[in-house]
Parts: sequence; structure tokens; C-alpha cells
Amino acid sequence: MKLRVAVIAILCTGLCCSFSFNNQAYAQAKKKTPANQPVIMQKITVLNPMGTPPPITLIPQAPRLDTLDGKTIYFVNTGYIGTDRLMEVMSDWFKANYPKTNVVVKKSAGGMTGVDKALWAEIGEKGDAAIVGLGH
Amino acid sequence: MPLIIYDFAKQEAEVALNSGMPGLRIQYFRGPVWAKTNEQLKKQIVEGNNPITGKPVMPELVEKLTKPLTAVEKKTGEIKRDKGQLTYTGTPDELQQMFLDKRYTDFMPVILPTEEKVAEMLKATSHNPDDMLGKMNPGSEAGDNWTYTVKDAAINAVMAGARPEYFPVILAIGSTGHPGVNVSDNGFMSGAVINGPIRDEIKLNYEIGAVGPYAQANTTIGRAWNLLSINGGNCGKVGTTYMGTVGNAMNAINVIIAENERDSPFKPLSVRRGFKENENVVTLFAGWGILSAKDWKVDVWGPNMDYPQIIKDIYNQQDAMFGTIAVLSPPIARFVADAGYDTAEKFTEWVMQSANPAAAAAPPARGPAGTQGLPPAGRFSGGGPVFTVVVTGGSNNNYWCMGGMRPQQAVQIDKWR
Repeated sequence: MKLRVAVIAILCTGLCCSFSFNNQAYAQAKKKTPANQPVIMQKITVLNPMGTPPPITLIPQAPRLDTLDGKTIYFVNTGYIGTDRLMEVMSDWFKANYPKTNVVVKKSAGGMTGVDKALWAEIGEKGDAAIVGLGH
Repeated sequence: MPLIIYDFAKQEAEVALNSGMPGLRIQYFRGPVWAKTNEQLKKQIVEGNNPITGKPVMPELVEKLTKPLTAVEKKTGEIKRDKGQLTYTGTPDELQQMFLDKRYTDFMPVILPTEEKVAEMLKATSHNPDDMLGKMNPGSEAGDNWTYTVKDAAINAVMAGARPEYFPVILAIGSTGHPGVNVSDNGFMSGAVINGPIRDEIKLNYEIGAVGPYAQANTTIGRAWNLLSINGGNCGKVGTTYMGTVGNAMNAINVIIAENERDSPFKPLSVRRGFKENENVVTLFAGWGILSAKDWKVDVWGPNMDYPQIIKDIYNQQDAMFGTIAVLSPPIARFVADAGYDTAEKFTEWVMQSANPAAAAAPPARGPAGTQGLPPAGRFSGGGPVFTVVVTGGSNNNYWCMGGMRPQQAVQIDKWR
């Protein structure tokens, strides 16, 4: 019992001292910075955390067609889910609205990230334009 | 000409620029396409409008095929880029706000990287501050490789609140170029398993709360990885280099796992992957993340538990893209060992014995096979089924986590001291 009282007394003393110390520190700080004066924050210099982006080599876009009549347009399906259906309905629209345009629908063996070299060679040889999808 | 869903327009503008074709003609429309019938696609896309321009999709597409190119679209040459000014001066409050505005942060306050603090961090490595540490991009669809130096990594480590003694681990991770935050709309996460005596040396937590933010080392190493990815690899910018549809909460500090080698009945992961005993190694992972096994499997929780079978059942229902990882607490690992699987290899072989239908349908590998090589930055190595066992955490109860995380590069830490 005596031990418990002693421990409580020590804890209370510590708590009071702590309050007392904090109050003194607060009072000193207040003395240094009067309430009607703003606290001036010191300026510091810090470093830029960015890495370095590479230079960009500009590539001109492919020349455009003067007309679609008599031209061959490839619809290239890169394989994302549902792209086959989208290519089908888009090519149907072309057939209905541009009957003089030859529409070819192909699936790329390269998928979404690779290149189907054989297909690109075919388009280069036989096609006039290519519509490639899908960026999902 | 690319066909792309309009939500990606901001990203595609940046990708086109990075690819050397600023202003590339792209036909946008409202998606998604997936799971729609031909009739829905016809009405919503082919007969719909481009949400950005308000113009009908198909006539606009024809116009883009036939309208002559502008001078800008025909331009050649090179655009040089750099990181911009090397320092910023201001009050701490101003600088915190500026770092936030410039998206140098993870939206939390950072330790401001003064030259003094960065110099202190650099003392933890023998490498030259100007040495190129690595190159990184946010993922294969979203960009080019940015490069960063040892000093860039130190700046980001300071910002994360890391102590200098953690820096060799951060450098080892940064040297791989593996992004902490991947661009994917799936919402991928990244993880790292750390083995060797460095776990105790830098006070990594591998006991209660091991995979969470409950120790300065685990938390700030994960955060430094992310900040280096954001700033060094241009990752995690919503709309351009981050497209996670719902996102992934594990992107906050990644999943940093120090193995509990002391209480594990199995050899450390690094040793199982060919490194020496007591070698300090960090093994990186990419995946969906991990979740309590309690949420993977129902109606099995009671007085009689067949832990190996539960783990196998969960493995058999998981997608093979990132494979399966079992993050076992020591008590569960011991249950597995007591069941006769006294090595992780034996257990792995048994778990993977049955055909996993998802694994059988897995896509082919997208990077080089194997797990210790260095795949191109931003790409994932491997493909097909994989099962990984890691032991960490406390022994206060029979809980553990499972999920999808595929091992990637493994790197020695000590060479970055």
C-alpha cells in the first residue's frame, strides 16, 4: 500500500514538473514573439527530386489521303477484349458509307504491345491507311 | 491511326509526345468496348460522338485520314529536355506547397531535401552521387525511360523520411528500374522481400504487423521507392502515367516484407533463389497485392484446420498473371512443415501439382523467362503459374495472407553500401 502511494506521488510530481516546464517554455516563447508580430519563417534551399527525361526525336506523321475512293484501309485488331466486334461494326459503317473503299480487317499477331512485322509489311505494300485499336 | 477510349486522351497526348509525334491524330470515343454487343457498339460508338470534340466519331475519323498535315505534324528534329532548375528556395511551408503543386510528393508532407540532409544520406553509400543509378518508366504503354542518379535517389530517400542506413536497400531497389507504381488500369502494386542480417541491422519489422506501416524502415523504404518512381521514373501521375480504374491502396508504401528468418522452418527466399546464406538481398515483386486468407476461403475456419489444403485451394482459384504468393506467419509455416512439407520447395511442388485452370489459360510471358534477369524497365518478367512462399509476422495467432505477386528481379544489397 505504502509503495503504491509512493509511486502515485512520484508520478504526480513528475506530471506537475512537466506542466511547470511546459508553461515556462511557452511563456519564454511568447516573450520572444509578441502576439502582434508575425513569426518570420526562415528561407531554406532544397534540391529538385526529379530524374531526367530523355530527348525526343520528332517523327513526321504519315501523309494523308486526298480521297478514300479506290483506297484500301486496314482495320487492325490488336487483341484487346471486344476489339474484334468493334472492328466489325466500324468496317460495316465504311462499307455502307464508302462503298468504293476497300476495307480489310486483320488481327495483329503482336498483340497490344508487340509488332506484327509481317502485317505491317503487308499494310505497307497493299494498304493506303491503317486504323489500329484498341487503346482501352 | 489509333482508336482509343477518350479517358486516355491526356495519357495518349503525352505518349505521342514522348514517341516523337506531338499532336498525333487519334480517334477518341466513349468506352469501354469490352462486353458490349455489336448493336451496343454501333449505337454508342459508331453512331456516337467523340466526347472531347462533340463531333460524330466516324465522320471525324474520315476527316483525320484525309485532312492535309499541318507544318507541326510534319516537323522533324529533336526536343531536348532536362529536370529543370536544380534547387528551390522558400520557407518550409512554401516549399511543401510547391512540392505538392509540382506533384513531387505522394500527397503527404515530405522531409524537405536540403543539401545537408542529402549529403548525410549519401554518406551511406560509396557510390558517386552523379553515377546513373537506373532508368524507369511507368509501364510499357505509358512512356519512355527516365534516368536518375544516386543523388536523385538520395533526395527522394530524404523526402520519404528514410534514415541513411536504409539507403543501400533503396539504391538496390532503384537500380532495377522496377516502378513502385505501374500505369495499368488494373491497379497493380509492387512489393519487396528483404533477406539477410540487414533486417536486424536497420530494424526492419518482421514480427507483428510485418507487412504494414509499423516500423520506420519498412515504411520509409517503401515510400522512398514510390517517390523515386514518381520523380525519377515519371510514374503515378493520374491521367498520364497512372490509370488504375479503382486504384490500389497498397500503392501508398508498397508491400515491404522482411522475412522472419528466425522463426521460419524454411530457408530464406533469397537462398531458395540461389543466393548465399546471410547475404543481404532484396527480391522485388509485381502483382495485385495480398489479403488475409480468411477472405479467400470460407467455411473452413474452426477447431480442425488443414492449412496446407486451404493454401492449395486458394492457389487453385487464383489468376496466373501474377501467380500466387503465400505470406505465412511462423505458426502457419510450422503447421505446413509438420504436415510433412519440411521445405518450401516440397510444399510448392505439392501445391502446384494439380492443374490450375487459370494457369493453363495464362498469357505467354511478356518479358524474358526466369526471375533473376533484368527485364526491360516497366515490363514484368515471367508468365504462367508460380507459387511463392514467404514467412513473416508474429506468432500471436494463426493468420496469414495470400495474393497475387510474381517475383521479379533479385538484387544484392551490399554492393550499394
